[in-house]
Amino acid sequence: MKIIEAKDIVYKYPDGTKALDNINFAVEKGDMVALLGPNGAGKSTLFLHFNGILEPSSGEIDVDGEKLNYKKKSLLRVRQFVGIVFQNPDDQLFAPTVEEDVAFGPLNIGLTQEETKKRVKDSLRKVGMEGFEKKPPHHLSGGQKKRIAIAGILAMDPKVMILDEPTSGLDPKGASKILKLLYELNAEGMTIIISTHDVDLVPIYAKNIHVIKDGKIIKKGSPHEVFDDVSVIRKADLRLPRIAHLSEILDKQDHFKMSDSYPLTIGEARKSFMEFIDK
Amino acid sequence: MALDIDFIAHNSNLKNFNPNFKVLISFIFILVTLIANSPIVSLIIFAATAILIILIAKTPIKDYLQFISIPLLFSIITCTFMLFFLGSGEIIYNTGIFNITIREDSLNLAYSTFLRIVACFQALGFLTLTTPIMETFNVLSKLKIPKIFLEISMLMYNSIFIFLKQFELMTNSQKTRLGYNGVKNSYRSLGLLVSNLFIKSLNRSEALQNSLDSRCYGGEFPVYEK
Repeated sequence: MKIIEAKDIVYKYPDGTKALDNINFAVEKGDMVALLGPNGAGKSTLFLHFNGILEPSSGEIDVDGEKLNYKKKSLLRVRQFVGIVFQNPDDQLFAPTVEEDVAFGPLNIGLTQEETKKRVKDSLRKVGMEGFEKKPPHHLSGGQKKRIAIAGILAMDPKVMILDEPTSGLDPKGASKILKLLYELNAEGMTIIISTHDVDLVPIYAKNIHVIKDGKIIKKGSPHEVFDDVSVIRKADLRLPRIAHLSEILDKQDHFKMSDSYPLTIGEARKSFMEFIDK
Repeated sequence: MALDIDFIAHNSNLKNFNPNFKVLISFIFILVTLIANSPIVSLIIFAATAILIILIAKTPIKDYLQFISIPLLFSIITCTFMLFFLGSGEIIYNTGIFNITIREDSLNLAYSTFLRIVACFQALGFLTLTTPIMETFNVLSKLKIPKIFLEISMLMYNSIFIFLKQFELMTNSQKTRLGYNGVKNSYRSLGLLVSNLFIKSLNRSEALQNSLDSRCYGGEFPVYEK
């Protein structure tokens, strides 16, 4: 079942330039999807359509099988259903303490203080930030702020979580912690959509990839379907994962080919290398 | 690096002391100083708050000095002007330049004003250096200060840190390219800095609005009872 679907979305800036040009984008329930694209391709703009912050110039958005309408009441429902974690946590964290910030969403929905307290506790535990309840967000590190921002969305109990560049600006350890967390949430049934240009990480977690360039989706499919089409990847100002790039060079310059399509992750590379040796 | 008052407050020895009392003490000190209008009372309040801040709250002396240095500087400038240009009483010192003199009543006015400013400021400093800002907000909301004021102050308070950080980043990047080499360059760089900060602030406020809306913000900040 499609949990989020964008049909023929066009979004124009006031000056008439098209930020999004006929976007068709669908996500199955329980999927973990990556939206891959260079800076300024329209990733964030598309995301802001999914919870009704932006209204398309033409086309429609379906959330959970229902057409999104822009009345106040249904917007509240949609924003609870689809949570967006913004790229810069400083834009999102505004309350003087961590717990107040996480409590912001649940209280806005109208939950009681008791229920909110429970949600704050649960979501801070999920992101591994227990014990930081009373701290002011601006005293935390980038990775910690990101996790608090995620907790603030989790506390609203959304069914879909959208993250705009969740690993940008984080150190490698912070980035892999965030991804591990997202992996766990996905395993619990949360549908997750991530925008990124980190091509090395994408094949590790995403089941489905959409490539966006200049406001258009130019390729979609499984990691192998997308990365096997090297010309599209390069056209979108992206590159192959390092390990695939190495295999490409080995193939083209040294005529050494381990498998039919280039491995995208270290795990895959190891597997096909071992198979090659055994042959 | 800007002085992070909230950080000091969070590490203060008096952090867990009842914030209602801290607000009360601070306001009583200020009221007494203003009503008594006597240099001796101001001095006593100054000494008392200094003891509270340094010895009891255990605020690091360096932070404390940095904290009071700016208001101290301003009050010295203000009171110097008072000293030379006000008053009509008996002349006690004539500088001999442009007939600028120090008169008996202007001397009194200058030093009593100086002590009052410093005492009041320190009474307020006692509050800010020992009480995390959100606790102060809580007390103020209990005192029925209109919600809109508190919400605006809270957002402003939060934005100050982002603004200062941005300011620091941008000045550093300008300094890297010798933007403050000479008076002419400095003026130009400062102008660019201010206009860019303005545009950046607008963008940030839009981003903040989007993120608030995404969490079902309804125009009023809900209160979370701890």
